Amino acid sequence: MQNERTQNRIVAILSDVILILYFLFALFPLVWMVLVSLKSGPELFTTKFIFTPTIENYVAILFGDARAAAGVVARQEFPRNFMNSLIASSGAVLISLVVGVPAAYALARYKFRGKEDLAFTFLSFRFAPELVVIIPLSVIYRQLGLYDTYFGIMWVYQLVTLPLLIWVLRSYFEDISPDIEQAAMIDGYSWWHVFFKILMPLVRPGLAAAALLAFIFAWNNFMFPLVLGGSNVQTVTVASLGYISSAQGFFNRMAAASVLASLPQIILALSIQRYLIRGLSFGAVKG
Amino acid sequence: MAELRLEHIYKTYKGGVEAVKDLNLTVRDGEFLALLGPSGCGKTSTLRMIVGLEEITRGEMYIGNRLVNKLEPNQRNVALAFETYALYPPLSVFDNIAFCLRARSVPKPEISQRVKQVADMLDITDILDRKPAELGGGQKQRISLARALVRDPDVFLMDEPLSHLDAAQRSHMRVELKRLHAQTGRTTILVTHDQLEAVAMAQRIAVMNFGVLQQVGTFDEIYNRPVNEFVAGFIGEPPMNFLPATPVREDGTFLLVAADNSFRIRVPESLHERLERSGAKKVDVGIRPIHLEVVDQPADALEEIDATVATFESLGEEGQLAAVVGTQTVLAVTSPLLRLDRSDAVKLRLRPDRIHLFDAATQAAI
Repeated sequence: MQNERTQNRIVAILSDVILILYFLFALFPLVWMVLVSLKSGPELFTTKFIFTPTIENYVAILFGDARAAAGVVARQEFPRNFMNSLIASSGAVLISLVVGVPAAYALARYKFRGKEDLAFTFLSFRFAPELVVIIPLSVIYRQLGLYDTYFGIMWVYQLVTLPLLIWVLRSYFEDISPDIEQAAMIDGYSWWHVFFKILMPLVRPGLAAAALLAFIFAWNNFMFPLVLGGSNVQTVTVASLGYISSAQGFFNRMAAASVLASLPQIILALSIQRYLIRGLSFGAVKG
Repeated sequence: MAELRLEHIYKTYKGGVEAVKDLNLTVRDGEFLALLGPSGCGKTSTLRMIVGLEEITRGEMYIGNRLVNKLEPNQRNVALAFETYALYPPLSVFDNIAFCLRARSVPKPEISQRVKQVADMLDITDILDRKPAELGGGQKQRISLARALVRDPDVFLMDEPLSHLDAAQRSHMRVELKRLHAQTGRTTILVTHDQLEAVAMAQRIAVMNFGVLQQVGTFDEIYNRPVNEFVAGFIGEPPMNFLPATPVREDGTFLLVAADNSFRIRVPESLHERLERSGAKKVDVGIRPIHLEVVDQPADALEEIDATVATFESLGEEGQLAAVVGTQTVLAVTSPLLRLDRSDAVKLRLRPDRIHLFDAATQAAI
């Protein structure tokens, strides 16, 4: 009896230790990034964990460098880049929602010719590496005048955000019995009313999770804004390159920029955490 | 409340599938009618046309004296209790029931009063605050009925309302639904494939098959005077036996001689005239298992047929005998006390007043 209890305790402690170890392992890159962002130049290339932290990197990227170092980082544009990322990513997710929700509904509910092919085509946007399409896209963009515009970036982000949204939401809509819509029609409601009052609450977990992931993918995208955007719409991912020049690598500022750039994602993820697990079990949910 | 009248209704789906053909049916004001048939017989298409979820290809449909062909579901003032209940998961039970009243902007106090009234009637007052997902099948069923009844519909339709309930709940709900109909006096249509449900609840039964209405009538009419072999075989459990035979005149008696020569029986006198008038060359002799009696003492050879026992099961209250007559197998319901073994020879008596004859060519009753 006594023995058994001790054994259980040991198992419990061991599993805690393993979890903590994994936690440290998984979180280490983040921790390292934060540490680096707080280091000053001389300490940058050491592996010291104990040092005098400084916020000069943050000040530099946010308000410009008073001791203006020569070259690329003279003009501090982080806030602008941050806004660009925010506009492009949220715009892309918004467009995806407006287009993707009806598309997912149609794919789930209606029978029409080429339905599966169409659904597969949406999915196939995610197959090809961006590098394959980037050159022709860039030519097209320049001819259409979409180069270096917000709309251009949002549009090309649909390749990233739309398939995800459509496929997650489609399985959600498929799980909802059409009887419910018909019952509401007999009850005297318009289709729109039913859609917003009954269907949307049911797909909300999937919608939240898919929209969040789409936002993160869009936010982290590097290739599209690098090639299709110029100085007007430069995003944080592209701007991070600017901290490394041939003369000097401002890795600490890059890290500070990365910490700030990951904040929106972290805040978003935490705020809709309760939907995430349910939402990503892809339609395994029953109402 | 109102009468529902279907006149020459057709439903043809894209691709040419004819689900309903020339359906003529009147459901009287306040009547409880069951639409009965095997799956794919067109009963669900009919139901959906009445409700307005499916367009009527041809024909006219009246509720009361209103032609409703072109009306939207919500303008027809009909209510449907779905087979899957189709409750609104995000809404509470109260809101589910109140949903249709809100659509018509009924004033708030009246809504709560009417919801309370149907909730009382269906005994669900204590779960009005819950969400459908937390409730069991029987409760969901009651909510779906409450939701249908609260709006005071002219015609109340139920689509297989009992199919997702367990046996105990089912027999309980059968009684409930009957009581509900008696209480509200509403024109009610029950769609089902289960004859027991139809018989237990409905005043009249409409039997459909292959998109065609076969017969409408009380259970008594349909059971005792089926118009064709389909209705005869579909109603009654176990189903009616059919034995192919030829009518023959021999020495002044009118006989039915089995196609495989395994039996000769006398044509019941009541059927003489009709059989002659029909001019049928070949007939199917229909006899229900409970009208097929095992006889110990042969009495009248022209009422009895020889058979060999295939199986005999004693089911407690009754016995079920499967016996081979020539090349056919027939079922008979007997006393459970019989002791019969495989291959025993038995004599079976067909009760003359219970014999049905069908024209083998058209399958129509003679």
